[in-house]
Amino acid sequence: MTDYILALILGILFGFSLNKAGLTRYSKIVNVFRFTDMSVLKFMMTALIVSMTGLYTLRGLGLLAFPRVPETYIVGNLVGGLIFGMGMALTGY
Amino acid sequence: MNWIKTQFQKELWSPYAAGVLLGIVGVLAVWISDNLLGASGAFENLAGIIGKAIAPAQFNIMYFNFIMPAAITWGVILLIGIFLGGLLGALTSRTWKLSLNSDPQWRRIFGPQVWKRWVIAFLGAIVLQYGAGIAGGCTSGLAISGGMLLAPAAFLFIAGMFASGILTTLLVYRKNY
Repeated sequence: MTDYILALILGILFGFSLNKAGLTRYSKIVNVFRFTDMSVLKFMMTALIVSMTGLYTLRGLGLLAFPRVPETYIVGNLVGGLIFGMGMALTGY
Repeated sequence: MNWIKTQFQKELWSPYAAGVLLGIVGVLAVWISDNLLGASGAFENLAGIIGKAIAPAQFNIMYFNFIMPAAITWGVILLIGIFLGGLLGALTSRTWKLSLNSDPQWRRIFGPQVWKRWVIAFLGAIVLQYGAGIAGGCTSGLAISGGMLLAPAAFLFIAGMFASGILTTLLVYRKNY
């Protein structure tokens, strides 16, 4: 039960950050592919850097263990990404 | 206190500031909940629940029993939270409104018809979800959550996503690109 409450709180923060970054709009998502508005990349890469640093620091201090890391299937990940990008550009989600 | 209130009421934050918030959420998800922030998987869980209700025999397969179980998972709750969080963001900045197609850029490129937006969004979302299923995650569950663990899968996915995203936009926008 606590796990579900945590999921709800984390989800709210997640959705809130997406909304405040403007990524709930069609134009913000599509314009990154037109190189006219790089918000998506700025948002994604900042999140990556912060969480990467946080996680590796916490693991270095022995405070957490990594969960199951997404497996690498070179063709699957790449082809999936290619199909996903198509849908993303069409919908703007 | 006033500062926090001003930030809440702002319509748009710097993407860097919002990114820091998401980064912290990503760390917390692993640290206190031992989970990754996946969104697309939750749709598969929900699809499994609907499928099992309609056609139990067809959906009684390994995929919907074990890989993406037809159940209310952590991810489904997260998804509900994402919706509520987005709603909270729009309400606090007073930009919330109900509309069928509010994006001016879309209307400029595709014309004013509302049904067109809905049809393309529906078909595009099928493509998107299918791609996420093959890759093993979406922008949040694979690109960001995998990337923060330095999983090669995440970076392959990001490369594919941007390559085809740019190409598709180029084809759709043509001379408006």
